[in-house]
Amino acid sequence: MALDFSLTDEQKQLQQLARRFAREQVAPVAKENDEQARVPWELVEQLYEIGLLNISVPEAAGGLGLGLVEEVIIGEELGWADMGFYTIPMASELGITPILLAGSEEQQKRFLGPLTERPSLASFALSEPGNGSDAAALRTRAVRDGDHYVISGTKMWISNAKEADFNVVFATLNPEMRHKGVIAIVVENDREGVSFNKIHGKMGQRAAPTYEIIYDDVRVPAENLLGDEQSGFKIAMLTLDKTRIPVAAGSVGVARRALDEAAKYALEREAFGRPIADFQAIQFKLANMKIGLETARIYTLYAAWLADRGDPAHISASAVAKAYASEIAFEAANEAIQTLGGYGYVNDFPVEKLLRDVKLNQIYEGTNEIQRIIIARDILRALK
Amino acid sequence: MVLVVLDHDGSKLRKSALEGVTRGRKLAEVLGGDVVGLLIGPGADAVAEEAKNYVSKVFTVTGADFETYTAEKWAKAAQAAAAAAGAKAVVAPASRTGRSWTPRLAYKLDAALLEDTLDSWAEGDKVFATRYSFLNRVLEKQAAGLPAVISVKPNTTPLAEPAGAGTVEPLSVELGELERKVEVLEKIVESGGKVSLTEADVVVTGGRGMGSAEAFEMIEEFADLLGGAVGATRAVIDAGWRPYSEQIGQTGKTVQPTIYFALALSGAVQHQAGMNKSKVVVAVNKDPDAPIFKESDYGVVGDVHQVLPAMIEEVKKLKSA
Amino acid sequence: MKYVAIIRQVPDGESKIKVEGGQVDLSGTTMILDQMDEYAVEEIIRLKEQHDGEAVVVAFGPERTEEAMRTALAMGADRGVLITAAGYVDPITQAAALAKVLAEEAPDVVFTGGQQADWDSQALGSATAEALGWPVITWTTAFELEDGKAKATHDLDEGAEVVRVELPAVFTAQQGLNEPRYPTLPGIMKAKKKEIKKIDAAELGVGGSKVEIVEQQIMELERKVKIIDGTKEPAAAAAELIKLLHEEAKVL
Repeated sequence: MALDFSLTDEQKQLQQLARRFAREQVAPVAKENDEQARVPWELVEQLYEIGLLNISVPEAAGGLGLGLVEEVIIGEELGWADMGFYTIPMASELGITPILLAGSEEQQKRFLGPLTERPSLASFALSEPGNGSDAAALRTRAVRDGDHYVISGTKMWISNAKEADFNVVFATLNPEMRHKGVIAIVVENDREGVSFNKIHGKMGQRAAPTYEIIYDDVRVPAENLLGDEQSGFKIAMLTLDKTRIPVAAGSVGVARRALDEAAKYALEREAFGRPIADFQAIQFKLANMKIGLETARIYTLYAAWLADRGDPAHISASAVAKAYASEIAFEAANEAIQTLGGYGYVNDFPVEKLLRDVKLNQIYEGTNEIQRIIIARDILRALK
Repeated sequence: MVLVVLDHDGSKLRKSALEGVTRGRKLAEVLGGDVVGLLIGPGADAVAEEAKNYVSKVFTVTGADFETYTAEKWAKAAQAAAAAAGAKAVVAPASRTGRSWTPRLAYKLDAALLEDTLDSWAEGDKVFATRYSFLNRVLEKQAAGLPAVISVKPNTTPLAEPAGAGTVEPLSVELGELERKVEVLEKIVESGGKVSLTEADVVVTGGRGMGSAEAFEMIEEFADLLGGAVGATRAVIDAGWRPYSEQIGQTGKTVQPTIYFALALSGAVQHQAGMNKSKVVVAVNKDPDAPIFKESDYGVVGDVHQVLPAMIEEVKKLKSA
Repeated sequence: MKYVAIIRQVPDGESKIKVEGGQVDLSGTTMILDQMDEYAVEEIIRLKEQHDGEAVVVAFGPERTEEAMRTALAMGADRGVLITAAGYVDPITQAAALAKVLAEEAPDVVFTGGQQADWDSQALGSATAEALGWPVITWTTAFELEDGKAKATHDLDEGAEVVRVELPAVFTAQQGLNEPRYPTLPGIMKAKKKEIKKIDAAELGVGGSKVEIVEQQIMELERKVKIIDGTKEPAAAAAELIKLLHEEAKVL
């Protein structure tokens, strides 16, 4: 009788809390923050006050020590309200995860402890101007100098980079060694030689701060190295295996929002003497949105459940969830715009923003093409 | 015997008192006996001269102890009158204060409470009432045995006509320890609002979109022009622009005017609970997606700071025509 | 010191109300801690934070009311007592049961919401006060604990007044009294271990209901929804509106 699709009482309460916060605090300011490309720090503070920020920080470091299932529950609700805003706490977990996976207990206390004491963020710096998918081709250099590493290079497309306390930076000791030369090192933002350029003109998710980071001969103590000098690339991959799951959750939230807005509109808008919800063409659109969102939701929870159990099957499952959810969400947003017709095309109504926001979910944290490589690799490995 | 507790302003009966008499008479027709009235507080003796024309007897409870209202004192006075009258049913107004003391009375009498009723009647030895529930979205019919305490929602019932002269009987009510536990320190009389919100035929409500306390001067002008009252949403009260007494909604007042103007407010469910039974709803908002439009008869999408002054001009023109 | 909040579980305001067989059907409806009772819960938590003591939530209702109690505990209340009874029970009857529990708990103050969003009743606080033989102050917007007394501001029919009340007493709360906090995730986890004592109403000698709900129907007025575009020519739109109100609706 083992299969049980229900949430625990605490998870249901968590969902109710996240949903209420999303509806009352995040949704009402989503349009304004998007238009102004404004980072809503007051919402980050509120998220911290209600205990929904950085929930994966372990109890030993003063956190709640919660897992991906809880992150997914929160992610769908915040994604429903504003995917751009959700990227902020989501990217913070992305910065925390390498330290959870490879940091010593001392490092976890040192880096993650302060995150629980006041509203603050972490960040993950892997991509560069010249490489995204080809992560092993990164060019940010790390040079060992006594008991320090000197970091030089540029990171690109980094969420939270400047607002965070620190970035987990992936740098290479030797570019020729490709992934074997990569280290993961925690670089605090207040070190000398660290500077940021905000990226402007984003299509969507404009409430989320995205940066280019320039590391100019930044001296970082060796105590900040996560794992050893060969483990950096593996840490990055293991991190993304998990953190792409909340991306899927955010996508599910966007898909649900698209369905909510389209269905509401279809019941009110009349054409040819009746609400357009009476027409099969519209009904099919709504049904397709539902088909996508229900399957994406359950699979995302499944991937989270596998990851929380430490089951290696989560690697492929998370890729399936991330790719699938972002694609059904994009389709749902697209069909929501279509349902609203002319009104869907203007920003008085919330649906055009859904499309602009969720497009990024197909690109960041591993493009959907990379996700398919991961899935194919898993299929073929099992057969060899 | 039916007792009707009559609200008054110190010199004359309020509209709600005459609504109560109508209800009382309807109940007495079936339950038998007379309809008697009760006046409490300063001016009761004077008002009794008017009130005695509506009921067979008017009890008056006055004196230093009853100078100011408390729920405990009013419930005690009503209990004394109900006992003196041998009343099986007590009718009272469902004003804020009425709804505070009637539950105390019901408990004292081990009676059923039919609260804030739209209508009430008796069949045999049972009383029935209709009222709203679920934030004013559901109409429900309730049944109860006797004794019963029934509070009457304002503006629901025809006003009673005078029906001959009754007698006036002062009633002496002794206060116990409980009735002396509340000391009234200070009365805060609100400035704004010449017309009572719950009795107004026209209500003009402003929301957060008005932008400032000063912008409400335009609303006051418009309300005055129409002989109406000013209302406000929770957000406006929170911002400190208008007093609590003007709040309309789940946590404020419920109104049922002939016209309800909803200006620069979005129309959350909690606000709608306070006005969704208005006869005609008119909304003005710059957001075409505002929920209030779906609950309106007429709406203008536009900037209230431009539309409202124009509306004021149009009404002035209409009045002079 | 002990502070009690009486709470009720009601449908979420955003939910659509369904009627089945002449009665409201709440199956499948999201239920929440009543928003007006939240002011009561917030106030007792604040009193505990400021003056020490225990913040207890009490309720009368079906088993599922426990979920609303957990929300209050997650906000910061210490423990709960739930008097269980199925079906509709009127506030006067509920007051008798609540008074039995409260007499035993012997708190210094009791708060509850001024009105709840399912039964739209304002009676519970007053009736419970009567059952306890305590004073009641309704629609409280300010509260200050003194020694054996409390100073409070509350609304009347027109305007407000400031009173001093001998404790113990009941206060019904509304917006303006405080700003209720959200429950927090750590609060939700701690609440799991907090005690909720359940007592069947029959055990307290309370049963039935003085009032029966004979029938319920959805009563939403159909609106015309006639919308005029006033973005480009506000004066013309206003003129058209007033004309419609005068000629079509005949209300002006």
